[in-house]
Amino acid sequence: MNLDKVLAGFFIIFAMTLNFGFWYGDPSAVHMHSKYELFAAIVVNLIATVLKLGDKSQVGSVLIATSLVADLQLIAAASIWTISGYNEPMDTETFGIIISLSGGALLANITSVVIYVGDTLKSKR
Amino acid sequence: MKYSSLWIVLQRMRLPFTVIVISYVIAMIGFLIIPGVDDAGKEYFLTIFDAFYFVTYTATTIGFGETPYTFTHDQRIWASISIYLTVISWFYGIGSLVSLLQDKLFLSEIAMARFQNSVNNIKEDFVILLGYNDTTSEITKKLLDSNMRVVVVEIDQARANYLMLEGFTPHVPVLVKDAHNAEALELAGIKSIHCRGIVSLFETNILNLRVTLASKILNPHVKVVVRSSTDNDTGNLLDAGADIVENPFNIIAYQLQMALYGSSLFKLKNWLYKIDALDGKSFSIPSENIIICGYGRLGETLYKMFIKNNISPTVIEHNRVIFNRAKKDGVEKLINGNAEDKFTLKEAKIDEAKLIFVGTNNDTTNLSIVSTVKKLNKDTVIIARENELSDFSIFSHAKIDHIFLPSKILIHKTVNALINPLSDTLIRMIARKDEQWGSELLSNLIKNIGVDPVTFELNINKNEAEQIYNHIKQNNTLKLFELRRSRRDRNQHNNIIPLLIIRKDKEILLPSFDEAIELEDKILFACDDNGKEDLEYISNNMYEFHYIIHGEENRYFTNIIKNKFKGDKK
Repeated sequence: MNLDKVLAGFFIIFAMTLNFGFWYGDPSAVHMHSKYELFAAIVVNLIATVLKLGDKSQVGSVLIATSLVADLQLIAAASIWTISGYNEPMDTETFGIIISLSGGALLANITSVVIYVGDTLKSKR
Repeated sequence: MKYSSLWIVLQRMRLPFTVIVISYVIAMIGFLIIPGVDDAGKEYFLTIFDAFYFVTYTATTIGFGETPYTFTHDQRIWASISIYLTVISWFYGIGSLVSLLQDKLFLSEIAMARFQNSVNNIKEDFVILLGYNDTTSEITKKLLDSNMRVVVVEIDQARANYLMLEGFTPHVPVLVKDAHNAEALELAGIKSIHCRGIVSLFETNILNLRVTLASKILNPHVKVVVRSSTDNDTGNLLDAGADIVENPFNIIAYQLQMALYGSSLFKLKNWLYKIDALDGKSFSIPSENIIICGYGRLGETLYKMFIKNNISPTVIEHNRVIFNRAKKDGVEKLINGNAEDKFTLKEAKIDEAKLIFVGTNNDTTNLSIVSTVKKLNKDTVIIARENELSDFSIFSHAKIDHIFLPSKILIHKTVNALINPLSDTLIRMIARKDEQWGSELLSNLIKNIGVDPVTFELNINKNEAEQIYNHIKQNNTLKLFELRRSRRDRNQHNNIIPLLIIRKDKEILLPSFDEAIELEDKILFACDDNGKEDLEYISNNMYEFHYIIHGEENRYFTNIIKNKFKGDKK
């Protein structure tokens, strides 16, 4: 059991699951998307990105790229939520943007996981 | 490995980044959970952004104040805990980053990346110089003056700093690495198509040999110019494929040999090496009563040269081991003693000596010997060797008849080999000529051009002599005398003497002006500045060339218009 791989895999997949959890549900219903879950998703995504840093191989570079994309989208979603939804209640249009941004981040995370699993399957150890 | 310095930063910063993220999260979660009390007394929870805002300016020790409302007791407890947690982890992160940036390995990685970038950006011809000292510094200046870029590899950081302080323009990239390492040559760009040569003038022949071998393997098209000190090493280097092998001691010996037969060849050679003008002082070498001080590499080479010419000089050598070696070599008149001593010099019969050669590898010793000799015999011709190259030279003020500087010889030969290869060939060809030939050429040059002519090399190719090239390509003949015409008036001629033509299959020394020029010829001219300028214009400028050949201005455009009208009329 490779502790390094366990930790890395854990955070990468955890990032994807949290992201999915936030994104799933009717885009017009605010109560279906918890902002704490978005917060958790951002944090775990950041940790996953940091863990992927420093890998010079091709696979490593692509993993970092997908992670950065996911980070960017989620932070953008959180920023929009903060700026527009601070004191007054949010309108559905803005909320739609937030949800779609997180949806994009989800795709990046899925790609990341697929590449990661694929690389692991390919290795003969 | 282009961004390797960036990767090192990222790798080393993983743990610090993670620590910062986790500490932030823990602090933020605490603030989200613990309720606060607003100014109306109602309970409220901080939003995620509020928590993030507070934690950010707390971790970086900025500390604006308690937002959005004054904290409750519970909140303040949590704030204290989070201060210790976040501030320490933030400092840990910054500290790691700072120590990383100061890491010697990291800095050298950055320097190497920057060096590689500079070398890759050179899109013109360049030469790699190994080692930075007075000699290579002069070579650098001369190469830069002739529009050749230079890249330097130097093992010592202090000397590399000195090079950077010189502030050469255009920029001379320098790499601090041991030239033994073939990777240093690769990083210096030896594989680039713009690399025209590599110069290795180290004192140790082993290193020069290693450089030759490595260069020829990495890029056989690069001209390898190396220094050698013995004939054995010269042989090895030539076998390894070196293009130019410079043995300054051999060169000095050849110079003196030329002076033996007469002064003209000696003066011509000095002029080609840019050591002196054609009217420089010369001296005649007597056939007897010669003393050589020092039987080092230079002394030995000189001795063997004199023996070859049936002269037997006296040799003074101080060092016991070298003295024994000289004895073994069969030196007849050998004295073991310090040449600075009056007694030793008297034993060598200094009062009868007509010529003394002071050639040890220590400048102070040489100067001391010179002053002693002058006291004992005012008429002896003194030739001295000066080792160090410096702006102010004691030697030049010591009233010595002739000074040999091995460094200067290396500089000029290297620069010639790289930029004026025809001058180098000419020097070699002159060596086989006799005194009469030499004095004819010498008087010819002085009479027609002056005492310090300029040399100019012209390659008849599309790049350097477009007009001549096109002209000959269209099956016209062009003779050398056409190139002598002046741009001001084609019936006058400039002060130009063609010295050498190199064709694929032959070399023509002192071609006549009737000689027809062929494509891909390499011609060496001796001329004055005006002649050189005219030659450059004539070879490349369409209008000047046309005037020279046809004697009238080029009516290119009016001809076109004329023809157009002619056609219209018809």
